[in-house]
Amino acid sequence: MRDDVWLVILGMAVVTYLTRAPLLLALARRALPPRLRLWLRLIPLAVLPALALPMILVARDAGGARLTASLGHPPLWGAVVVVALAAWRVNLLITVAVGVAVVAFLRALG
Amino acid sequence: MPSVFVYGTVFGGLAVQAGLRPLEVLGMSVLVFAGASQFVAVPMLAGGAPALAIVVTTYVINMRHYLMAATLAPSFRSFPRGWLAVVAHVINDESFAVAVARQNPPDPWVFIGSAIAVSGSFLAGAAVGTSLGGLVADPERWGLDFAFPAVFLALVALQLRTRTDALVALVAAVLAVVIALVLPSTWHVVIAGFAVSLTAAFVLKPEAA
Repeated sequence: MRDDVWLVILGMAVVTYLTRAPLLLALARRALPPRLRLWLRLIPLAVLPALALPMILVARDAGGARLTASLGHPPLWGAVVVVALAAWRVNLLITVAVGVAVVAFLRALG
Repeated sequence: MPSVFVYGTVFGGLAVQAGLRPLEVLGMSVLVFAGASQFVAVPMLAGGAPALAIVVTTYVINMRHYLMAATLAPSFRSFPRGWLAVVAHVINDESFAVAVARQNPPDPWVFIGSAIAVSGSFLAGAAVGTSLGGLVADPERWGLDFAFPAVFLALVALQLRTRTDALVALVAAVLAVVIALVLPSTWHVVIAGFAVSLTAAFVLKPEAA
């Protein structure tokens, strides 16, 4: 493992504290402007899929980046199952466990 | 809090699998204490992403705390500032949801009680997970590499309230894939996540919040 892990953890801790403390300490007496509230609510909705989908569909190696979207790609089916279960409001951990099991099963068939 | 405990266990197990030392896993859990961003950071650390990219991504993911802090602030008006500096660190999605669901404005003591339970469960889970994580010899065979994207997808799918929410998520996902094919590291997360949420916040009616 790389040697700057603690530096990264410290950086993560500082920026995360900066998302928590300022507004609590400022004791904001009035609500945030509606458009700012909307943006803050939308950020995770955009960031999380932006993280997840490339992990599933983009393969990177020495030759560069390429799409791995094919019907024989187990994580693709895992993703379909996870989104379907979560949309039905199935518990997060059960959803993830089933998704992982689907990927493991398809690889075993592989 | 059993689900938070299991979530912590999964995090600890996967982080050790990815190559973090148990002390680093626990240090991150105490100092950062923001589950989703920790799940995000682990594969980035293991994949050799630049430190700056990891820290910026963490910040963007955790920006939702601003909303929670602003909503909780009026309930804590009578608390000394030193206390607030500590309470701020344990702001988390679960305790916020519990306190807000109970009454509005939220009861500060309901929030503090829940935050103590959540942080204790998460840390205990992470500690157990780090000791179990080393036991799995071939994580890919068991589909465990898929656990990270699975957590992210499930988290976002659980938050979708309207059709426009789903559209925002879909556009960000597609844009991120396109950027990931062109740019190195994980800048696609920051660029797509920021650009799409900001554009949507300008275009959509604020009542949608």
